[in-house]
Amino acid sequence: MSLFSNTDRILLPAEKWEAIVTHCKRKLAGEFLPGESRVKRAYGILAGVQEGRELHVRRVLPVKKNARNNEPLKTYMDTMMTEHAVASTTPLSQRGWITDPRELMECYDLCDREDLQIFGTYHMHIVPWEGDAVRDTPTLLDTVLAKESNLYSFIISIVDIEHPFMRAFYEGVNDKETPLVIQENS
Amino acid sequence: MATIIIPFPFRKHTENQREISLTGETLDNVLDGLLKQYSGLQVIHDQPGLLSIFVNGKSVAGGADNWADVAIADSDEISLIIPIAGG
Repeated sequence: MSLFSNTDRILLPAEKWEAIVTHCKRKLAGEFLPGESRVKRAYGILAGVQEGRELHVRRVLPVKKNARNNEPLKTYMDTMMTEHAVASTTPLSQRGWITDPRELMECYDLCDREDLQIFGTYHMHIVPWEGDAVRDTPTLLDTVLAKESNLYSFIISIVDIEHPFMRAFYEGVNDKETPLVIQENS
Repeated sequence: MATIIIPFPFRKHTENQREISLTGETLDNVLDGLLKQYSGLQVIHDQPGLLSIFVNGKSVAGGADNWADVAIADSDEISLIIPIAGG
């Protein structure tokens, strides 16, 4: 049984959604924090608490470092890209994100200290594809990378930068979508 | 006994336990004990090279070939990290 079986919906407070969008737009604008990988892509972790059949997002944890070009992770990612990525305008060597192990450990530790569960990771789709104008679902590559992860893949469509939106897919599988509800600030 | 920290995504293999205490003189011994007790954790070996191990926050270099040479003390905390990836 998966960690999040029987989840009816995921609740995301509006200010957390704004934090995610701000992260995406900052990276797209080429504004980088000290120590942050200088790539125009955003990757982050969502964590929170499970209450009955609902997941409540409490933390947005932008991930700073992309270990995509650090061995042995580079070899793994290069293989994944070659075997599963659909050709795009972005070269395969510049695509994909894999977390730095130390940064991930620190993230896990923080969540354990705050008694939060890791729900999954978010990343954005920027470029429209032929036959897929909004890019709001996982790619084959997303699905392969999330396989057996026990985590959600949160896909942010930001093809229209003024109207980004996000969907949640368990282990990056298209037919395992869970409704995501943005809760307005009270 | 040394304490092994199980990363959240793998806790379904450890009956949702965050920490597992095990004895062993070397990292190799401790991990063998862990995998014998929780066979579902064999998934950490599914992608060779992806597993990172930290002992008391310090990265263990060199991969599995070195694990037999890493001495483990009772007070040590061992973290197992498999990076998360996305497209």
